[in-house]
Amino acid sequence: MHTPQPNYPLNPPLKHQNHQLRLALFGLSLCLLLSACGYPDANTTRELAERMVLEAFSGSPTHLKRIEQDPSQQLCSRINNAPISAADASTVLETARASIQYPASGVLMGDWKIGDTLAHDGAGDRIRNGKTEATTRNGGLCQNCHGLAPGEINVGNLGPSLTGYGKLRGTDPAIVKYTYDKIYNAWSVMPCSNMPRLGATGHLTPTQISHLVAYLLDQKSPINQ
Amino acid sequence: MLRCCNHDLMHRLNSHTQPPRNTSLLALIALFISIVMNCGLTPAFAQNDLSVGRKMLLEDNPGELWIDDGKALFFQVRGPKQASLERCDFGLGPGKLEGAAARLPRYFADTKRVEDLESRLLTCMTQLQGFERSALERNAISEPASRGSEIEALALYITSRSNGHPIQVSLDHPQEKAMYKAGEYLFFRRSGTNDFGCVQCHGEPDKRIRLQDLAPLTTHRGAQEVAASWPAYRGAHYVVRTLQWRLNDCVWQMRLPDLKYATDYSIALTTYLNRTGNGAPVQVPGFKR
Repeated sequence: MHTPQPNYPLNPPLKHQNHQLRLALFGLSLCLLLSACGYPDANTTRELAERMVLEAFSGSPTHLKRIEQDPSQQLCSRINNAPISAADASTVLETARASIQYPASGVLMGDWKIGDTLAHDGAGDRIRNGKTEATTRNGGLCQNCHGLAPGEINVGNLGPSLTGYGKLRGTDPAIVKYTYDKIYNAWSVMPCSNMPRLGATGHLTPTQISHLVAYLLDQKSPINQ
Repeated sequence: MLRCCNHDLMHRLNSHTQPPRNTSLLALIALFISIVMNCGLTPAFAQNDLSVGRKMLLEDNPGELWIDDGKALFFQVRGPKQASLERCDFGLGPGKLEGAAARLPRYFADTKRVEDLESRLLTCMTQLQGFERSALERNAISEPASRGSEIEALALYITSRSNGHPIQVSLDHPQEKAMYKAGEYLFFRRSGTNDFGCVQCHGEPDKRIRLQDLAPLTTHRGAQEVAASWPAYRGAHYVVRTLQWRLNDCVWQMRLPDLKYATDYSIALTTYLNRTGNGAPVQVPGFKR
């Protein structure tokens, strides 16, 4: 039986903290010396967890393909965000650069109005009861994570705010290409960024991405007002 | 008993809003106390305007209606084997519910597995009551605006018997350790057409998807907030939801395939979450938007 503790301290009292920290660090180094204190090693954990993944999901082979990791996803899955080695980072970067495809038309800056709608569309490509969401095209998901036009309140903050993105940067071909590449494959600019590789994974088409580029860079776009 | 608690909360809420009679000193003291209380005692949700509404909802939580349903189901003699769940051992002995859910997931010697609340319920409902596992799994997560599923009500009732008990997930057994490490691995595992792992949304404090707050689940404080508040009443669905439902919905947003009910994948993530949240007093039903 355990007695309830209504005011459980979230952190131990301050004066003990240093002592406890030192004790913990000592314990930790001891653990490392004695090889991980009875915890399974990294390979055993990976095997166990990967087996769990295989058993946990249902669906068609196309759906189940999504739980397989490509080599870059493997390199970018780092427990406790452990830093990635320079060699691995450049592998991810090079793979990402090689993945980028441009619209057949060669036009990287499309229609900002279509881009506006796409940027505010968070739907598409989700799976429920064995069926992929019935949409003619996937949304751009931008609003979920980025600040967009000035005054928009219903925007996320997982990524940096994009308000005024084009106002600051102009429409030079170099910035147009940079912006396109960043959306097509975010890891070509920053390896293992939290941002999905929207073009490279097939979530968005090259033409859709060109509309998002216009939404960000066109001086008439609401984002630049 | 519930009615009494609710009444007590309402009473406190009311007395809080009545200004002390004409005494500016008293008013100042009251103001000071309320500032201290807001800063010190309420969790992260006391930070913005939205939080005021959330706090009010928590104090008048329709989810409490499900507790009685769950209690009735627990004691009712049911199933092909005509048994109640009173002989179900949630870790502290058959039928001993006080504080039991606060220590889940844990290793169970009878099944030789680490089980969370929902997988343990499946074990008891199949072994003791004789229900068919596949049918239980199929019906576990109810339709929105329905009366809810048996498992949702049972999970809430059983967890409510841990209200006030600090979460205390032990990793003493080797299988518990293995489960925790697997959960940690899975939390950081990126896959799918959106390259998402859990950490992409739940890795940093003060983050939102649109206006929805995201708990930072690698931190003690963030995990505590989540681990202590499921099962919860989900306003948009008008039903009580379990942690397994929450995982399902995350996985859906992550563009991954359908997650089966109560597999080791979910148990591992739950072990990682609850262990990180150790120490938070259980307070269910939670209230989610």
